[in-house]
Amino acid sequence: MADFTEDQIIRYSRHIVLPQVGGKGQKKIRESKVLLIGAGGLGSPAGYYLAAAGVGRLGIVDQDEVDLSNLQRQILHRTADIGRPKTHSARDRIIELNPDVEVVPYQTSLTSDNVMEIIEDYDLVVNGCDNFPTRYLLNDACVLADKTIVDGSIFVFEGQATVFKPHVGPCYRCLYPEPPPPGMVPSCQEAGVLGVLPGIIGSIQAMEALKLILEIGEPLIGRLLLYDALATEFRILKIRRDPDCPVCGDNPTITELIDYEEFCGLRPARC
Amino acid sequence: MLTDRDRERYSRQILMDRLGEEGQERLKSSTVGVFGCGGLGTITSLYFAAAGVGRLVLVDSQKPDLSNLNRQVLHWEKDVTEGVSKAESAKYKLSNFNRDIVVEAHTAMVTEDNIEEFFGETDMVVDCLDNFESRLLLNRFCIETGRPMVYAAVHGFYGQLTSIIPGKTPCLRCIFPESPPPEPFFPIIGVTPGVLGLLEATETIKNIVGLPGTLRGELLIVDLLSYEMGKVKTGFDNQCSVCGKWRK
Ligand SMILES: [Zn+2]
Ligand SMILES: [Zn+2]
Repeated sequence: MADFTEDQIIRYSRHIVLPQVGGKGQKKIRESKVLLIGAGGLGSPAGYYLAAAGVGRLGIVDQDEVDLSNLQRQILHRTADIGRPKTHSARDRIIELNPDVEVVPYQTSLTSDNVMEIIEDYDLVVNGCDNFPTRYLLNDACVLADKTIVDGSIFVFEGQATVFKPHVGPCYRCLYPEPPPPGMVPSCQEAGVLGVLPGIIGSIQAMEALKLILEIGEPLIGRLLLYDALATEFRILKIRRDPDCPVCGDNPTITELIDYEEFCGLRPARC
Repeated sequence: MLTDRDRERYSRQILMDRLGEEGQERLKSSTVGVFGCGGLGTITSLYFAAAGVGRLVLVDSQKPDLSNLNRQVLHWEKDVTEGVSKAESAKYKLSNFNRDIVVEAHTAMVTEDNIEEFFGETDMVVDCLDNFESRLLLNRFCIETGRPMVYAAVHGFYGQLTSIIPGKTPCLRCIFPESPPPEPFFPIIGVTPGVLGLLEATETIKNIVGLPGTLRGELLIVDLLSYEMGKVKTGFDNQCSVCGKWRK
């Protein structure tokens, strides 16, 4: 613990006394670099708890500005932040909470041109961006660069979380090899959602990231956690790597990044 | 009545068939007590403010210290330096987060004699405490005044949660006839109260809006290391010193 200040030892003392963490674990947390994709409903609680835990560097990718209708679930942003870039208000909030964390904002969308360069500097990617183009692009990039994704998604009352660790467990394409053709996506209208649901899934994503950093517990590699907020039920489904997967399979056919079009064409990709 | 601003602000949840404008109005007209502004209370109150619960009553006797900051996301380093109380610190952040709601802060030791002053006007109270003595005080108050409460407790990577509805479900004393020994410096990772606090907020919102599937007579056990989550049925204790006579 020699290289932690006295204040830092007090700040993280409740972790340090856990046998699964200890001084060594806290050092691993401090040396970790985590990239958050999206400072929205999932990224907000994940960002808060990763920062509170003391991760060394937190990168935040988001292209949007804060809108009034975001505030029902995106707790990194306040009323006064409306109209500001989300990565800026996220950075301000995280630094207020824990100035030890180095926050790197990327106020941009992910594209085949920038994704490899952005993920390169990070150990882990926490994906809070639930749209097809970003999901496929990020998945392929992380398989090619051998980066683990902690994935989360929500729909109305249901949430899911899993970990895609390349070549150890399945990737997103093992489950869904190709995006659906544009005409098959029924509607791109934003669906209703209770703010607490992305709250729970985003917090679980932070937990998974910490478990991977600390190498403790049973992370969700090859397992899909399902949460039904209406029934208050958690279930686990086993998911497998597909040897014929076009990107992580034994004979991959995808060796370059693909920019998929946003299907509905009405609005840009959103987190 | 919802304003146009409310309709815009809460549009994503009003869109839900099971919530709608009616559910949003119920949230707006409700008063929720948050007893404890620590790891559980900071996150529940943040999501209550986000969801548009009209009035929040925050009660805590303490000031934040550095060792709280690994999990109590509404308290920051400057609050520790300035010596602001937890209830006031939370109120300040919540009011900035959502100016359309009313937040009341009480920095006080709650006793049998004064508990009515704080929670007497609430529709529900959320137990965000870290000691069993205060929990029992809240449990008795809620049973005697017919107020629903949501209970959660956390330790390390584990937590548990249930709803207590007076007359309908066992009370906290039925579930825990013996008080666990106090543990002032318990180990905890921040995400654990995060998840449990969010589950408490979900329970509360479901109770207010009238959604099904709340944890009535069931204790949810959460293990964030393995995700072995289970529900345990809770039973009435006929000898219960708190809720026994109220059920007769
Ligand atoms: Zn694959
Ligand atoms: Zn009882």
